[in-house]
Amino acid sequence: MTVVELRPVRRWIRRTQSAHRDRGETATTAYVVVFSILVLAAMAQETLAAVFSPLVPNLTGSGALAWAAVCAGLLFATLRRLGPVTVSRPAAYFLLTAPVSRRRLLSPTLTVATVGAALAGAAAALGILGHAASTGSIVLVATGAVLGVLLAVAAATAQARPRVSRIADTAGRVAVAAGLAVLVAEEAGWTPPTPGGWPPAVVVVPLTGLLAVVAAAGFLLAVRDLARTPNDLILDSAKTAGTLADSVYGVEPSFLADMLERRYWAHRRLRSTPLPRRLPPLTAQDLLLARRRVPRLLWAAAATTLPLLLSGAPPWLLASTLLIGTMLAARTTTSAVKTDATNPVLLRLLGLTSRRTLWQRLWVPASLGTIWATVALGLLQLTGALPPGQWWPLGLALGPIGAVAALRAARAGLVRNDLLPVETPMGSVPTGPLLHAFAGLDLLILALPTVVALATAAPATLSLLVFQVGLGYLGVHAYLTFTTSPDRVELATR
Amino acid sequence: MDGSLSLEGVADHPAVEVHDLNVSYGSTPVLVDVGLTVPAGAGVCVTGENGIGKSTLLRCVSSLQRPDSGVIRVNGCEPGDRPDFWRAVATTVEPPTWYPGLTAHEHAELVCRAHGQDPAEAGIDEALERLGLGGHADAIPPSLSSGQKQRLTLALVLLRPSALLILDEPEQRLDPDGRAVVAGMLADYLAGGGSLLLASHDDKFAVASGAEIVSMDML
Repeated sequence: MTVVELRPVRRWIRRTQSAHRDRGETATTAYVVVFSILVLAAMAQETLAAVFSPLVPNLTGSGALAWAAVCAGLLFATLRRLGPVTVSRPAAYFLLTAPVSRRRLLSPTLTVATVGAALAGAAAALGILGHAASTGSIVLVATGAVLGVLLAVAAATAQARPRVSRIADTAGRVAVAAGLAVLVAEEAGWTPPTPGGWPPAVVVVPLTGLLAVVAAAGFLLAVRDLARTPNDLILDSAKTAGTLADSVYGVEPSFLADMLERRYWAHRRLRSTPLPRRLPPLTAQDLLLARRRVPRLLWAAAATTLPLLLSGAPPWLLASTLLIGTMLAARTTTSAVKTDATNPVLLRLLGLTSRRTLWQRLWVPASLGTIWATVALGLLQLTGALPPGQWWPLGLALGPIGAVAALRAARAGLVRNDLLPVETPMGSVPTGPLLHAFAGLDLLILALPTVVALATAAPATLSLLVFQVGLGYLGVHAYLTFTTSPDRVELATR
Repeated sequence: MDGSLSLEGVADHPAVEVHDLNVSYGSTPVLVDVGLTVPAGAGVCVTGENGIGKSTLLRCVSSLQRPDSGVIRVNGCEPGDRPDFWRAVATTVEPPTWYPGLTAHEHAELVCRAHGQDPAEAGIDEALERLGLGGHADAIPPSLSSGQKQRLTLALVLLRPSALLILDEPEQRLDPDGRAVVAGMLADYLAGGGSLLLASHDDKFAVASGAEIVSMDML
């Protein structure tokens, strides 16, 4: 078969595309992107400085290694989620099926992913070095970059070999879990074994050099093997990249979330199970869904320890993490509400009132939220990270609040881009995405008594508990009563 | 009229009454002074070429589209987004959607449970088997082919209790055997006392389902 030269095809595509653009449009786009990055960097200067070089470095040697494992695991997971070998959606349609060199077609994205991973690895190493209590060699930044390249090569290799991918993905998850476990254990009072300080420069430099040689060889081998990447996986990653771009350009996060949800269930082999008879039908459905999301529940269970990492952080940050964690745990089963809010076809088929629907949908998220908040508060209390008093019973109030916030977020449906933007001194702010982002989070204000108590280091008293539980239950009841109707099926008012 | 609609006592009124219905899309009139009656317990199939307004008529009767003017009564009441309306009326006028993480069989069970039916006695397995979905009961609906999705949608509306079925081209995407099965099930539905309003391009299918054929030109 004759292989068609890819370069002229790409050149023709670029030329034709640019012929349809206004003159100077590309330069304008580049200017806007660079300018936006510079403005955002200037605005977030203090935050960036705090991330990369805090005033009081706090990481032990084990902590630094644990953070390195977490960063590596997350970077690998991101690379795997994005491909890393991919093509644009038009190229997937027209060029993947054309008689062109697959290596040349796919190598640009691998190169971009590798450069991105190297930069991310270097940034992670810089951040970890900045936080480390003892000073390490700055060459370790280069080591981080090289490790980033190795991770990109490993991700590309896993993509081309589905059998390897399962092991590699598990290894990535184990790295994240183990790293977080060490950090949490340290925060809980465990004294880790001292690794013996940072390696000296005479060890770091040759080791980095050796790793760089391995990474370069690995990259070349990965490029050579690009043609082995199965078509279905390239199409999957093309769809992911395209949907991600749609989500960004359309300011519509649900595009990506829906695709990931669909893909998750498409890969599951389910067996029909009778819905629990004693529960209302929609509650029974949610319970079944929770039972089918065991990995997510396990991550949520492990995440109850994460607030421990913030025991030294400002109290408002700890309180926010507790509330958002509760809401995320409650969101495990709210996808059905999202489906109904976006398209009420099934609600009409079920013929239930919107009030009954939402009450039935509340129980499982409320239970998950309550368990999560109670355990998280209990752990914080056990490790002495909270002011005196019994804090864990507040989980009984935070759980339903988190659940109702999760339901409200799920009911928000699609972002409304038809709303008028708000003019501010910083420029115009799009109202639709802003309202969508805060839908659900706004109901967390019902937990204000707990937040104030945590922020002022006040003890957990019985009156706080009674007040918070009362406010929470009133708020939940009011939300479910005033936003639904016994005479309407749809969750949204028309 | 008290404005409520239930499965009981629907025979007192025609299943569907439409008078002087007018709908336009922009400056293009689609339905002009349309009138239609579907007697209780009877079936009517509206036919006509593409774009003549069959789906628009069905959407208006299902309360999913507001007409410019005209009167619509379903079992004597005004259609609307009320629970009693949707408990009496089942429709496939809109494209289906599916709950994440639920199999085809579980969707059917959920619909039956929501209508107070005992899933074991509702005949879910028989309906899925009859519609050729017996081997796909454990599949998640998005993984089914378009024809199988259409069969599942029809299974769901036929399994649950209703007084009126409103179906938009139910024969679409079905193979000849599938059409015969669905037509038979619709005939059973009519024999059981239900009323049927459908739009179709297949006269043979409409006759087999027991519905009277009415051309849109005559409405």
